[in-house]
Amino acid sequence: MTDCASCADERAAGAAFCEVCGRSLAPEPACPHCGTPGGVGTDGYCENCGMLAGRERDHLETDCGEVAAAVTDRGLRHHRNEDAMWLATRGRDVDVVISDGVSSSFDPDVASLTAVSSSGEALGEGVDLATAIGAAQVSVAKLAAEGDPRRQASNPACTIVAATVRGDSVTVGWIGDSRAYWVPEEGVAEQLTEDDSWATHVISLGADPEQAMRDPKAHAITAWLGADAGSIAPRTAEFVVGDPGHLVLCSDGLWNYLTDAAAFAAAVREGLREQGTLISAARWLADYANTAGGADNITVALVPITPLGITPLGGEQE
Amino acid sequence: MTYTAEAFQNEYLALGATEVNAIVTVTSSGNTTGARTGGATEVIIVDASGSMQAEGRITAARQAAKAAVACIDDGVHFALIAGVGTAQQLFPAPGQLAVASAQTRAEATWAIDRLHASGGTAMGAWLLLAAQLFAQRPGDIAHAIMLTDGDNGERVGYLESVLASIGGKFTVDCRGVGTNWKVSELRKIADAMLGTVDIVARPADLTAAFEQMMTAAMGKTAADVQLKVWTPVNATVRFVKQVEPQVADLTGKRVADGARAGRYPLGAWGAESRDYHICVDVPPGASGDEMLAARVSIVEGDTVHAQSLVRAVWTDDAALSTRINRQVAHYTGQAELAETIQAGIEARKAGDDHTATMKFGRAAQLAHESGNKATSELLATVVDIEDAATGTVRLRRKVAAADEMALDTRSTKTVRVGRGQ
Repeated sequence: MTDCASCADERAAGAAFCEVCGRSLAPEPACPHCGTPGGVGTDGYCENCGMLAGRERDHLETDCGEVAAAVTDRGLRHHRNEDAMWLATRGRDVDVVISDGVSSSFDPDVASLTAVSSSGEALGEGVDLATAIGAAQVSVAKLAAEGDPRRQASNPACTIVAATVRGDSVTVGWIGDSRAYWVPEEGVAEQLTEDDSWATHVISLGADPEQAMRDPKAHAITAWLGADAGSIAPRTAEFVVGDPGHLVLCSDGLWNYLTDAAAFAAAVREGLREQGTLISAARWLADYANTAGGADNITVALVPITPLGITPLGGEQE
Repeated sequence: MTYTAEAFQNEYLALGATEVNAIVTVTSSGNTTGARTGGATEVIIVDASGSMQAEGRITAARQAAKAAVACIDDGVHFALIAGVGTAQQLFPAPGQLAVASAQTRAEATWAIDRLHASGGTAMGAWLLLAAQLFAQRPGDIAHAIMLTDGDNGERVGYLESVLASIGGKFTVDCRGVGTNWKVSELRKIADAMLGTVDIVARPADLTAAFEQMMTAAMGKTAADVQLKVWTPVNATVRFVKQVEPQVADLTGKRVADGARAGRYPLGAWGAESRDYHICVDVPPGASGDEMLAARVSIVEGDTVHAQSLVRAVWTDDAALSTRINRQVAHYTGQAELAETIQAGIEARKAGDDHTATMKFGRAAQLAHESGNKATSELLATVVDIEDAATGTVRLRRKVAAADEMALDTRSTKTVRVGRGQ
């Protein structure tokens, strides 16, 4: 636990921290896998069974109250969370970015984190969305030449979907198959992004959508960020909201269980209705994906938007 | 000294898989000054049996011993042993060690002139005397050179019992001159004493061989470096092998260090880099589970110089679990190459030409695939390689004994795989 001689006295007195060395006197956590008390070593692995106790990125939440909320979760089948998210608010203005690391690349978790932080920082400096995604591409491409030499053979790569909300105008930009939806309180929901994926490509050529989505290649993406991405051309969409609703960004860990926009909207609405807050609704959606199998990392961000001139949404108005 | 330890592996395992493989590259920058901080002791053992008179071997051995003495740094303790039916100390006085200086090196050179070939071969006795001399300087980098030209004349089992009692106490590099000695005998000594074995077919080449061994020994700055391998409960170490610069199985040299760890002796280190193949059997995990299969540390006593993690991550994504790690594949091939050559030589000696042809064919293929040119060339002295890619070879009817012994002793030499692939 600790070698500090004073610790024993402090612990006996019931203190939470040692007054002398400042270390926590709480018993070290038991291994979540084998239950060995104090089993988890400094490198995160259990000293008894060797299992990884957990990582910081396994489950993260960002709660911006009524303005926005985002949740990212490892899911059930992947050993680490290779998704990353960025959420920044100023008043009711919002910058939000979600990135999904490409599993077959090396260090995809580093790629996604790099993508969201460099594009998020660029958006904070006031650049437009395409420029911010361009900044993410530059940063992610650089990773191949840094760190582990295996990155050169299979360079870190990821998707990106980003949105800015300024008043009631929304801009969305993306590369890959992470998505943005507009889910109005009532009426028809809309997928704002079009996947850069094999499935989308063959559907656009006339293939049966359901069959295409069942194909093992369905999720193979045709555009991404990374050293081997070549010159990227992020697609963007802009609109001004006419009716109140929610902008929803997510990785395929969620939408893969809700491929149809109507089904997706129904789940979002159910989550918002059943839960009192944005953050708990976002958590509910992540849980939804985990209940359905949790086959991939899950990230979801919710941003309520109200047309200018209409009173912002409160829970009681629903 | 600063050490680094870097693990190369495909950590992804298919569901149900339980075997974890990794190559750990250990690199030492050597001492900043390039100098030893502690002491060093060198013992040179020269076979002085009657057979050494043939082909001018004893004359060449004298020259080689003198050249080796000339390479000993000032301040290093040293002694010379004349190997006959017993062990006789040639220099300095019996039971003593000299401290190297211009004066003592000159005295040793005069003593070497008194070395005459007449007597038997008693390797166990020679090594035992060396062990007694080394015992005077605990903590020193302890290294011996042993030269012989024949079979051990001691009763069966004596050498083994000596090796069991002195194993790990010092390093022995063994050299056989001519072709009347047994590779298996010297390899037994080199394996037990963490040293090398090689053939010096021509007596004239002895001087260069001794200089090379002594220079390498003088470059060592740490005496007793160990590889510590921690594994979780219910996991077992299947093997720990040095795979570069040459294959050496360390599995049996494990000394328990607590309930979950074992230490494997690596001998003395200078500024150098070596690769180790570590294979661990672990209990199977569920999809998404990540386990630390081994924590590999480079230690000297209680000091941990460097550490590297060998991980296991279970996935149902076959694209990840079927990835082949270049390092692991390469060194698995190099270890198979050494085993195949030795099996081929044994089969040939036993008159089983069919098996020998198959083994040498496979060896030619492995050497070709891995770019081990030196081994390919050695193989070509024993077989005609018709097509290395398919492993098609023909046994040569006449093979020089020296060529076959060179192939045998050097079969464990490996080449490094290109990094970053």
